[in-house]
Amino acid sequence: MVDGLIAKSLNEALEALDNKEYQIVAGGTDMLIQNRSHSGMNIDYKKDVLYINLIDELDFIKVDEKNLYIGANTRLETILESKLVPQILRDVVIEMASPGIRHTATLAGNIGNASPAGDSLVVLYLLDCELEIKSLTKTRKVLLKDFITGVRKIALNKNELITKLIIPKINLTDCYFHKVGPRLSDAISKLSFACGYSVENSIIKDLRVAFGAVYVTVVRSREVEGKFIGQSVNDLKANLDDIINAYEPLIKPIDDQRSNRVYRKNVAINLLREFIENIKED
Amino acid sequence: MKDISKSINKVDNEEKISGSAEYIADIKMDGMLYAMTLRSSIVKGEIIKISYPKIPDNYYVIDHKDVQGKNIVKIIYDDMPIFTTKKISYLHEPIALVIGPEKEKIVEILDSIEIKYKEEEPQFEWEDSVVDFHFDKGEGERVFDHADKVISYDYETGYQEQAYIETQGFIGYQDGDKTTLIGSIQCPYYVKNALIQALDSEPENVRVIQSTVGGAFGGKEEFPSLIGCQLAVAVKKIKKPIQLIYEREEDMLVTTKRHPAKIHFDAAIKENKIKGIKAHVGIDGGATIGLSGVVLSRAMLACSGAYTIDNLDITGDVYKTNTVPNGAFRGFGAPQMMFAIEMFVEHIAKDLNIDPLEFRKSILAKQNDHTSTNGVYRDPILMPEMIEKAMKESDYLRKKKAYANPNIFKGIGMSFFFHGCGFTGSGEKKIIKARVRLRKHKNNKAEILIAAVDMGQGVKTTFRKLVANILEIDIENVIFNNPDTDYVPDSGPTVASRTMMIVGGLVARAAKEMKQRWREDEFVVEKQYKQPDYIKYDEENFIGDAYPAYSWGVNVVEVEVSKTTYQVKLVKTWSVYDGGKAIDEKVVLGQADGGLAQGVGYGYLEVMNHKQGKIQQKNMTDYIIPTAKDMPDMETYLYDNPYAFGPYGAKGVGELTLVGGAPAVAKAIENAINKRIYKIPVTPEYIMELINNAKN
Repeated sequence: MVDGLIAKSLNEALEALDNKEYQIVAGGTDMLIQNRSHSGMNIDYKKDVLYINLIDELDFIKVDEKNLYIGANTRLETILESKLVPQILRDVVIEMASPGIRHTATLAGNIGNASPAGDSLVVLYLLDCELEIKSLTKTRKVLLKDFITGVRKIALNKNELITKLIIPKINLTDCYFHKVGPRLSDAISKLSFACGYSVENSIIKDLRVAFGAVYVTVVRSREVEGKFIGQSVNDLKANLDDIINAYEPLIKPIDDQRSNRVYRKNVAINLLREFIENIKED
Repeated sequence: MKDISKSINKVDNEEKISGSAEYIADIKMDGMLYAMTLRSSIVKGEIIKISYPKIPDNYYVIDHKDVQGKNIVKIIYDDMPIFTTKKISYLHEPIALVIGPEKEKIVEILDSIEIKYKEEEPQFEWEDSVVDFHFDKGEGERVFDHADKVISYDYETGYQEQAYIETQGFIGYQDGDKTTLIGSIQCPYYVKNALIQALDSEPENVRVIQSTVGGAFGGKEEFPSLIGCQLAVAVKKIKKPIQLIYEREEDMLVTTKRHPAKIHFDAAIKENKIKGIKAHVGIDGGATIGLSGVVLSRAMLACSGAYTIDNLDITGDVYKTNTVPNGAFRGFGAPQMMFAIEMFVEHIAKDLNIDPLEFRKSILAKQNDHTSTNGVYRDPILMPEMIEKAMKESDYLRKKKAYANPNIFKGIGMSFFFHGCGFTGSGEKKIIKARVRLRKHKNNKAEILIAAVDMGQGVKTTFRKLVANILEIDIENVIFNNPDTDYVPDSGPTVASRTMMIVGGLVARAAKEMKQRWREDEFVVEKQYKQPDYIKYDEENFIGDAYPAYSWGVNVVEVEVSKTTYQVKLVKTWSVYDGGKAIDEKVVLGQADGGLAQGVGYGYLEVMNHKQGKIQQKNMTDYIIPTAKDMPDMETYLYDNPYAFGPYGAKGVGELTLVGGAPAVAKAIENAINKRIYKIPVTPEYIMELINNAKN
């Protein structure tokens, strides 16, 4: 039998984590499925469980001049409804979750779950999301891309908790999220794609591309992006093959029960091509 | 008199919407135990030894040694053991039930059972034919001797999962010598007859009651007999109430599915006309034969689709493989064939450079034409006007022409199809021999006593309405309880689009007699099925009228295909059906929407496959059926074309609405991408392959 603790405050949660190892559960929409058992039986948790879903102080959306801050306990539905949240993040929420899920699931939970098919991660990578992580004695910040280290692997110490997401305010001419699911709702992505750019005087000032479900973690390469930032829109479009060739080796999808690697790779490239071809010159 | 088709509220709306309907999992009995199934972890081989842990008090293991009767599930073909004795022929084959009061403990016991196997090489290729059929029409193969040319293509269809909302389940209890099962089932008497054989009990000592059924689609035709026998054996031995309900994953991994099929066609062409067709139909039966032979014959009988072809040479095989047994599913062999023949005729026309629509219309079956088995389409066929209606409403011709432009990736497709109503061949006369009873109570209420099951399709509504209309009483005064074999006669299984046409026909006859005797206090009217005399069928040689009546349909589906992701978006559908006469329009429209969703889902969305005998899509996350968002606006038009022996002229509609969906959506996609389609589901992955590699 495992123990469960329902923390009422951040401090209580951090103290508990300092004492022993817990499985942290926020909305539970992934944890309940991963630990499901037969109907009528208890949830088959393998470790003691720390529920953080009642910690109100982690339920917020705030902004300052530089950043947007989303609490670890903020529900997807709150994010969807908030005008403070960039549209692309609200778009991903509506694509990734049905109403029932939206009212209990959290972005921090999606991050902690670190699934290669996690839709929100693609957009959070694109937005350079950073995390605030706390233990009883220490607060640290880490970039999301450094936090997720593999399939369901995260760089979180046993005594730590994700407390907030920090999303820098950026100014993009356009950005969007494209989910490629097997059907129009309630489905896990075959792959997903997010992109954005800004143009000033026909020069590419910012260029961002992120792919989901085509590798163990979200694929985003600042190195590749950097090569093309500073080019004129026309040059960029003329260099479409170079862009594709630069991303091609980074996209290494798998065959599974939902799709196959050829399709995933082909469509990822098509989405990239479509994005570049549609970039407008101001 | 008012038109019976005019809709009333479905009688089960309230209990289902409010949640008060009692499904099997809602039923709790005092001292009830739970049962879970011990299953093989290998695909093929033999059990050498099973080592059980110490089984605590009040926990039980029930296996083949406990079967007092015959260790075979009575289906059509006797080859499925209730529990395996030692031979394993598919992954997760049932070995025993572990039973007790706490599920946690049962799981613990299951986890600590050790089984030693001798593994053998499994068979997944379609080589081991266990049923083979052949029939000819007209000159058969000889017509190929004087053909100008022969056009040949192969078509393939995949698994389909019924995906009923409520998984398989039963509760059983023992009362003296009597074993009773309450279950989520389509065919109370199939289960009862299977139990009699398994328990070696007298018929009066076996009782089967239907609980509210949360969907079935054929999946609860024969499969419940297997787990019903397992549970009944346990109940009779342990003499305590026991519940056996499948979890979703278990249900998807081990229950019967639609047979994957491979269909090869040759057409003998002379002067740009089809003179004859030669076909071979192969279906994957899985590890046991069960109903596969009957599924194969329905597929073969549908070989000329909605057309008349004078010369046929049709062969078919059921192949045994070491995979989960396949079985009944709405359409029962017809969806596979209807896809294949609709594509084949289209592809022949394209090869001959003839407009496919004109070509297809020119060979449509007409009244008095001969069916594939030289039976006769005796009743009027309204297809020409139904097609015209579908084309007009969908603006078919204009769109078809506009979408021929290869750059716009839009498409429209139209399927023509039929479905034979009732059991194939002489089944109704020789095997089922349906009996129905109608009881007049003292309080001027009439009670319908039949074994037909309302699994959501509306039987309770339509039957009460039917009887109320004939007796000219309020529907509130017509009683129709869930079938209980202690009270209802065997009116046959709730399958094969037979319920309203056959059982309803008998009930209507009984009601007419009751109407004349209405002044009497209390009495019972019983009716038994009589085949119309003109219906003659030679089972062995496939000659004659395979069905007493046929329902007809036209589906038009419009799609858009994404050039970037190859995803298909349904834009709109238009359907026209001739189901004889709707007993309730809304109920038929319910079948129309649900059937088409399941049919197009089969055609473009629903992927299921196995890898070394293991089903890969084992939950509703990975097995993709269309949601309300995927289904577009569906327009449906119903044509009256009364059948003399159906009540008010009703024929079958339950399966008809499914069989045309796949070819319609496949043709629409073919139109959108300008590439030929040879298999379903037409997934984005397949569309990508076609766009990148295939010739036009």
